[in-house]
Amino acid sequence: MSEFFDMGGYGKYLWPAFALGFGIVVLNVVLALNSLSSAKQDARRRMEMSQ
Amino acid sequence: MATWTWFHRLASPPHVYAFARRWTPWFGGFAALAMCAALFGGLVLAPADYQQKDAFRMVYVHAPTAWLSLMIYTTMAVAAAVGLIWRMKVAHAAAAACAPVGAWFTVAALGTGMLWGKPMWGAYWVWDPRLTAELVLLFLYFGYMGLRAGIEDPVKADKASAVLAVVGVINVPIIKFSVEWWNSLHQVATVMQMGKPKMDFDMLWPLLLMFLAFASYFITVLLIRLRAELLRRERNASWIREVLA
Repeated sequence: MSEFFDMGGYGKYLWPAFALGFGIVVLNVVLALNSLSSAKQDARRRMEMSQ
Repeated sequence: MATWTWFHRLASPPHVYAFARRWTPWFGGFAALAMCAALFGGLVLAPADYQQKDAFRMVYVHAPTAWLSLMIYTTMAVAAAVGLIWRMKVAHAAAAACAPVGAWFTVAALGTGMLWGKPMWGAYWVWDPRLTAELVLLFLYFGYMGLRAGIEDPVKADKASAVLAVVGVINVPIIKFSVEWWNSLHQVATVMQMGKPKMDFDMLWPLLLMFLAFASYFITVLLIRLRAELLRRERNASWIREVLA
């Protein structure tokens, strides 16, 4: 198992790169969902104001 | 006839909104499963490279993020061009939805590339044609978003930013072919080249699956952001009342 994480000595570059890349993958889903929910809230508020 | 119906639907915000809502879970679900399978294939099943040893596994995160940074810019430029030519609001919304995602993936490509460069070239950064052109891509995304944010009238913001997106697309082939046109430290394409890919099948399939996963992932994020853009743009449309009910 520790051999897997060591990756022939390249683990110290490999794992941060995967963490960065897939961290950004997850982050962009979160940011997109946040943007959608705030757009929905704004739209609801506008609807209430126009009524 | 059928193609025109399709085109008109593409221009209609309620149709696009409903389409995006219906398809998001499918594209997202496929992307998640395919990413997991490709990660397992790339990190566990694939053998180490004879030259780069285990460091070659960087390709499974660096190549898809870098490819996506170019794919997203191309999508953004095409959407912007469609918006300019046919004055289609949905197309401008799609272009605007692309920009922040593209900027993030350019950061991912540069960051993972630096972490690959250090053990292979001995330096995190060199002013190499490909690296420099990718950095220019990041500034193009920033310029696009800055321009949109700086113009208050949404119609003018759409037009001005679309022109920038279309002109900037020249950078995409420059990045792609930089490794062939100039002397570059960066390795040349392994998969996307004429003829057979120079990669063993055990190493190749996780990479191809990862590309597919990232494409599906981008569609997912784009569909979510497109819905947000449409809600913000279509201020008083009655369809918004319906979808929010």
